[in-house]
Amino acid sequence: MSTQTTPGSVDAYPCPYCRMTGPLSERGNCRTCGAAAKVHQLVSGSGWEELPGAKDMAHIQFGRSHVQVAGSFVPVADFNLHNDDRIWFSHHKLTFVESSVKLVNYKDGKSFFTRMMAKMESYMLQATGPGHVALSDNHLGEIVSLPLNKGNGMWVRSHTFLAATASVTYEPTANNLFFSVRKGDETETEYPLGRFDDVFYAPNEPGLLLLHSPGNTMFRDLKPRETVYVKPDALIYRDLSVSTYLTAEYPHAERSIFGSGYQNRNIWLQLSGPGRVAISSKYEKEFVPLLPIVDGTIEIIRW
Amino acid sequence: MEVIVCSWCRMNNAASALQCGSCAAPLDAKDKVSDSGWREAPRLKDMEQFKFGNSTLQVEGKYVPVAEIALEQGDFVYYEQHTMLWKEPRVELHQYTLPGNRRAHGMPYSVLYANGPGRIAFSRDAPGELVVMPIHAGMELDVREHAFLLASHSVTYSFVRIKGLANLLHGGNGMYLDRFVTQKYPGMLMLHGNGDVLQRTLAAGESILIEAGKFLYKDSSVKLDTVPVPGVKTGWFSKLYMAQLTGPGRVGIQSMYHHHLSE
Repeated sequence: MSTQTTPGSVDAYPCPYCRMTGPLSERGNCRTCGAAAKVHQLVSGSGWEELPGAKDMAHIQFGRSHVQVAGSFVPVADFNLHNDDRIWFSHHKLTFVESSVKLVNYKDGKSFFTRMMAKMESYMLQATGPGHVALSDNHLGEIVSLPLNKGNGMWVRSHTFLAATASVTYEPTANNLFFSVRKGDETETEYPLGRFDDVFYAPNEPGLLLLHSPGNTMFRDLKPRETVYVKPDALIYRDLSVSTYLTAEYPHAERSIFGSGYQNRNIWLQLSGPGRVAISSKYEKEFVPLLPIVDGTIEIIRW
Repeated sequence: MEVIVCSWCRMNNAASALQCGSCAAPLDAKDKVSDSGWREAPRLKDMEQFKFGNSTLQVEGKYVPVAEIALEQGDFVYYEQHTMLWKEPRVELHQYTLPGNRRAHGMPYSVLYANGPGRIAFSRDAPGELVVMPIHAGMELDVREHAFLLASHSVTYSFVRIKGLANLLHGGNGMYLDRFVTQKYPGMLMLHGNGDVLQRTLAAGESILIEAGKFLYKDSSVKLDTVPVPGVKTGWFSKLYMAQLTGPGRVGIQSMYHHHLSE
């Protein structure tokens, strides 16, 4: 992997972030994910590396079209669609559109039930070029570009999806990362990640998947059987080769004289390699007060 | 004498200046304009300051920035009451008289004005950026409700009622737009945009469709209509509505439309 790179000097830059190889843009960004070319090691002592995200004004090329990222707090993905090139997205993300772009409801052939399992909007939009259409999320964060080779897939946490090219599709996948908690007559099920999440893949030709990651994004490559615990809601994406498991940790030091101490437990998502994982520095708060676990596949650790 | 013209507010600055003296926009940085013609509002650097009247405004912070003003004798600024962060005791506060029946028709917050001398600071409780809108003499700017942070005394506050049933029901901007007007003298208007703020200048007759919640401001010469997108549904019985803005004039948008309170 090249770590000393200058714009224009490399025709085949192997991007450590999106794992694609190609020439750098004139601004010194990777053409397929918009990240600035890596010239310094940014790996923390623990092995996490900051995923730079697509930089302000970076161009990301896909097919004959490209997307330009504008802004740095809540960045906007400004697509310049070539004739008949298509992207699909949720209408909540739409920022502006030129009149030359054709907007229609996106028909992906999935049933209402499948979309519900995938936590996708029932009514998605499809934009067809030529012209500009721009999308943005509603949280501070950064745009993460995941170019997908033909036949490749990526597990993605629900609600981080921003847009995808027409060649990318999704499939809700059972992830068994949920349990039930109960307070009185009320039961909270499918906590914290739910029964299903999405696997995006490009079945027939390469495609581009854009995510909006709240906060800052870090990633690392786990070696075979290497394990790390993360906040469940912090996970943004992972390779399909990474295995996952929920763990509840009850620190002895935090237990009170009144017993269970579940208010002080930590819920972790255990990630085991091999493969790439990315997490966000912003995650949902656990609902308060935490309640006893009554059901679910979860490992309990007390110490 | 060689001068640099600020590309944001069009004011002249000394050739050696690194930031504009009247809007604090960096002069040493290239404008960021996307291929589609949207220009990023200049990101005001932490601790940058600029003059208006005899007073000085300093920007502090990056994520939820604060506008701190050293008001001189005879200068005043007005603002929505809840955006004041702190003030020195000697700064006098007074009720700002709203025109007509504006408060009765939807302006939920008291508008106050602060008289110098003394220091006073403002911020909105949301991540975003402060935008100094250059308002030269004889200009009118329409701003979505509650995006306005403060304005100098030479800027007159007014409002316009949004007309048309589709605009009211689907426009996402409420019933009114705040209108800021200058007469003989230029003024300083500061807005808070949620997320990033982008601006584009539309030619006469040029139109663009914008998500209504992301509209931030426009010149009064720009026409605002809320229109359905033909053939697109967002529910069993609901259509997709967007704000159609038709030039000539400037249009500003914000990239985040929910008001996320800082936690």
